Amino acid sequence: MKKILLVDDEDGIQMLYREELEDSGYEVVSAFTGEEGIEKVKSESPDLVILDIQMPGMNGIETLRQMKMDNPDLPVILSSAYTEYKQDLGAWASDAYVVKSSNINDLKDAVKKHLP
Amino acid sequence: MPELRKDPVLGRWIIIAQERGKRPTDFVIDKAPTTGGFCPLCPGNENTTPHEVLVYGREGGAPDSPGWKVRVVPNKYPALVIEGELTREGEGLYDKMNGIGAHEVFVESPNHDDAFAELPAEYMVLIFQAFQHRIRDLECDDRFRYVLIFKNFGRAAGASLEHSHSQLVALPILPRKIESELTGAETYYRYKERCIFCDIIHQELKQDVRVVCKNEHFITITPFAPRTPFEMWILPIKHSSAYHEQSYDELIALSEIFSESLCRLDACIPNVPYNFVLHTQPLRSEGLPHYHWHFEIVPKLTSIAGFEWGSGFYINPMPPEKAAKYLRESLERIA
Repeated sequence: MKKILLVDDEDGIQMLYREELEDSGYEVVSAFTGEEGIEKVKSESPDLVILDIQMPGMNGIETLRQMKMDNPDLPVILSSAYTEYKQDLGAWASDAYVVKSSNINDLKDAVKKHLP
Repeated sequence: MPELRKDPVLGRWIIIAQERGKRPTDFVIDKAPTTGGFCPLCPGNENTTPHEVLVYGREGGAPDSPGWKVRVVPNKYPALVIEGELTREGEGLYDKMNGIGAHEVFVESPNHDDAFAELPAEYMVLIFQAFQHRIRDLECDDRFRYVLIFKNFGRAAGASLEHSHSQLVALPILPRKIESELTGAETYYRYKERCIFCDIIHQELKQDVRVVCKNEHFITITPFAPRTPFEMWILPIKHSSAYHEQSYDELIALSEIFSESLCRLDACIPNVPYNFVLHTQPLRSEGLPHYHWHFEIVPKLTSIAGFEWGSGFYINPMPPEKAAKYLRESLERIA
């Protein structure tokens, strides 16, 4: 079973995404900060990361930069409620950028593309 | 006593708040710490960007591989998209159109730590040639009316990556600021049958109080009514409305004066964040006698607040004559 690391500080998003992704047949592990996410990439060796941008402490773009430095081939999907971070060229290190919405089909499609 | 000054082209008023008596040392900018980590613009990471649309310096080798000097790629997450027909429609009195456009990034050097201002002229010229190349190419697409080229340097000016880069946005409409500049210049031309920018250059050379530096082909001035302290304009001395028609020799001269102007600015205020914007004629224009292409360099030293938003006036604590003097003396002071 493919493992997804979900890095997001919002409990509601963690719950919603976990439910949907587990229903789609993935194992989901959670981290609530960027720092924890970096640690869990090392300890859990996920196959893919879904990463929020606005988080307390290390933000998603900085976390992404560090994750890609350590694991260049690890697919990372940025998931944010805000579209303006698309203008941040640091976001280019990600493999996809999905805008959060109650319909998570875009996210599922992006996951499926990188974890066929 | 503060002074109100009117920009002769735009008719925009600004307030020179002289009594605040700022000196360059009053603007202290801490150098942003290097964040490090993975950089999508560095050689070896070409697979993290969309396919390049232009590359200089790679001798052989596959597309999207290392070995380049300047690389141009479309924006990975563009606000406007290149594919599709342009449709314009009205909804009552409101106009709208679909989000057709191009958004590209010029990676100015393969070296992550290179600073644009410090690039040698024979290298910087490649970036200026790349601007020309992309304008010419996008001019063939009749959905676009204008190509805006700009650079954000420093986080406060909007640059999110340390790796030196500039950007291009091709638009299906003429930006309001450029339209106002064209209208102002045309009005002046109809009245006097002269290009207002040529007249500005002539007067600045004669008065010699706002000239920062010059060479055979270009002049850098602090404009009469600048929005921010140390704002600079770089203009070709010979009349031309089309940036993309400049010769190689002229671009070399542009590189030299650009580098000198930015180094003078950095000598006055180390690490100052800035934006530069290329103002050139709209696409597919035929040599406009009233318009004069130029670069505007706007340091990010003051913030725009309620008064500026509400009135459209800018408050500038540094008279341009004083700024020009500091800029002229800056390198000599350091030497």
